[in-house]
Amino acid sequence: MNEENQTAMKKRVQRLVYIAAGGKINEEELGRHDTDLRTLGLDSLGYLNLLEGLERTFSVAIDLDHEEDHTFLHTIDNIVRYLSVQRGAAA
Amino acid sequence: MIGALARGPIQDAMTEGLGRHRGRTAVVGSEPLSYEELGERIEAAAGALRDLLPGEARHVGFCLGNRPEYVVLYFATLFAGHLPLLLDANFNTGEIEPIRSDCGLDALVVERAKAAGLDVPGKGNPVAFGDDVAILPLARQSEPSFGARPSTQVCRFTSGTTGRPKCLEFSGHAVVSAARNWILGTGMTGEDRTLCLAALSNGLAFNTSLLSTFLAGGEIHFLKGVPLTRPVARRIVEAGITRLVAFPTLYRNFVAPGGPDPTLLSGLKHAISAGAPLWPDVREEFRSRYGLDVSDYYGIAETGPCTFERDASHHTGLGEPLPGVEIRLAPASEDEPGTGEVLVRTESMASGYLNHPGQFEARVDAEGFYHSGDRGRLADGRLHLVGRTQDHINVAGRKIDPTEIVAVVSALDGVADAVAFPDEDLNREALVHLVVVAAAGEGTKGVTKETVAEACRSRLAPWKVPGRISFVEEIPRTGIGKPRIAVLREQLNTKGSMA
Repeated sequence: MNEENQTAMKKRVQRLVYIAAGGKINEEELGRHDTDLRTLGLDSLGYLNLLEGLERTFSVAIDLDHEEDHTFLHTIDNIVRYLSVQRGAAA
Repeated sequence: MIGALARGPIQDAMTEGLGRHRGRTAVVGSEPLSYEELGERIEAAAGALRDLLPGEARHVGFCLGNRPEYVVLYFATLFAGHLPLLLDANFNTGEIEPIRSDCGLDALVVERAKAAGLDVPGKGNPVAFGDDVAILPLARQSEPSFGARPSTQVCRFTSGTTGRPKCLEFSGHAVVSAARNWILGTGMTGEDRTLCLAALSNGLAFNTSLLSTFLAGGEIHFLKGVPLTRPVARRIVEAGITRLVAFPTLYRNFVAPGGPDPTLLSGLKHAISAGAPLWPDVREEFRSRYGLDVSDYYGIAETGPCTFERDASHHTGLGEPLPGVEIRLAPASEDEPGTGEVLVRTESMASGYLNHPGQFEARVDAEGFYHSGDRGRLADGRLHLVGRTQDHINVAGRKIDPTEIVAVVSALDGVADAVAFPDEDLNREALVHLVVVAAAGEGTKGVTKETVAEACRSRLAPWKVPGRISFVEEIPRTGIGKPRIAVLREQLNTKGSMA
C-alpha cells in the first residue's frame, strides 16, 4: 500500500475510533496515531463498536481467538498495519 | 456419586436436573458437554476442590469470563460444601483486596494468564483447570471483617457505590426459586438453547441462564472472544440457538447498517436485553428487521428477576411480574400522578449485604418489599420505568455514586469545585459527565482535563472514570448548595453549540 493510501486509511480508522468512542475522545487526540487508544479512554464497549466498524468498513473478519497478540488494536498505526495485512491476504 | 457430596437446595435441584436429562447436551463452548459428562466433571472437580481447600464453607471467588469451566467449577464449589462468590471478571487487585478483607477469599478462579499477574499477598501456586483456567489458593492474612449467614449458598456483587463492591448473600432457596420462576414465567423448555453473552456474575445471566437451563433440560452456549454480531449470528444459525441473552449495545450493532442478514436469526424465539435500558428505536428496528421483539428484562441485583414480556404483540414497557414477584408503587408526588417508587417483593430476594450489614434491611419495609430507587408506573399490568429516585448514575448496569468521583477530583490541587451527573455519549451510551471549576489565583497548579482524567483512572475503578470532563467558571447551585444540574446542562449545551 502506498503512503497516500496509508494516510487515507488512517483517517478512516481515526474517524471510526471517534464514532466508536461516542465522541468521548476528541479528534485532535486521535490525530496522534501512535498513541495507545486505551490511555485516551477507549473502553470495552468502545472496542466492541470499533471492531464492528472495522469489519463492516473494510470487509475483514477480525477473529480475536486466532490472534495471540492483541496489541494490533492498541494504536491507529497498528490497526492500519493489521488491516493492510488482512486485506492483502484476502486479495 | 455426586449425591454423596454436600447437600443444599441448589445441589438438590442440580442433581435432579443432571439425572433427569442424562444423554442430552448441557453446555457448549468449543465442544459440547452432555448432562452426564457435566455431572462427572462437577463431581471430579468437587473432589479436587475438597483436597485443595480442606474444611467446610471455604470462600471461592470467581473472577472469570463465561466458559464451560465456569459452570463446572461453580457447581463443584457448591458440591464441595464451599461458598462461591461471583466477582466481575474485570476486577483486579484494587477491587479484589477489599472483598478479601471484608468477606474472606480462600481461593480465586481466574484465567491462568491473570493468575500470574495478580498482586495479592498470600498467593499460592495456581492449580491448572482445563486449558486456560487456574484455581489460585489464597492464604488468609487475617479473619474477614464479616461472616456469611449460615443459609447463604451464593454471593454476587453489586458494583458498589462507595468504593467497595457490595457482597449480596443469596440462600439456596432464593437461587432455586429465581430459576424455577424464570422457567415458568418465560416458558423455557428442554428444547431451548441459550446463547449467554452477559457475564455469569451478572444477575441477568445468572438467573436466566445458569441453573434454569439445567432444570429445564436445555443447553447453555458460550462464545469465546468479543461478541461481534458476525460470530454471534453464525453461532445462532449453526447451533440452532433459541434464546439470546445480551445487552443493549449488541442489539444496536445488529440493527446498524451492514448488520447480519435477517434470515440468520430466524430460529431465535427470545431475545433478552438487560444491564441498561434498551433504546426504543433499536427495539423497533430489531423487530422490523428480524421479526422478533427484544424483551427488555427488568431485574434488580438485590431481588432477582422481576418482569418479562411474553406477549409478542405487546411492544411497550418491561412486561408483567414473573411468578413469585409482587410489584407495588410507593405513593407518588402530586406532580406525577400514577407514578411512584417501584417496590418489589420476590421469592428470590437476597438475604443482605455481607459486608454492609443493615443497608439492605434498611431498604426493605415491614411487608418485605424492597425499595428499588427506580420510579415507574403500572399500565395494563406492565411495568414502565420513568427514572430514578436517587442520584446514582447507571453506566452499563453498574451503579455509580457521583460523590465518590467528586471526592477524588476535589482533593486535587487547583480544583475549586466539581460535580458529576449522568449524561450520554454520541452513541447514546450512558456516561459520567464531570464538570470542574479550576481554582483561580497564585499557587494553582494548572489543573487540566488530562490531570483530572489521570487522577480518576489511578484512583477509581475503570467504569467510574468520567466519560466526559468539562470545565466551567462556576457551578450553579441552589441556596442550600445543591448543584442545579438542569441549568448546568443548559449552559454546557449552549457553550457546546457556540464552540
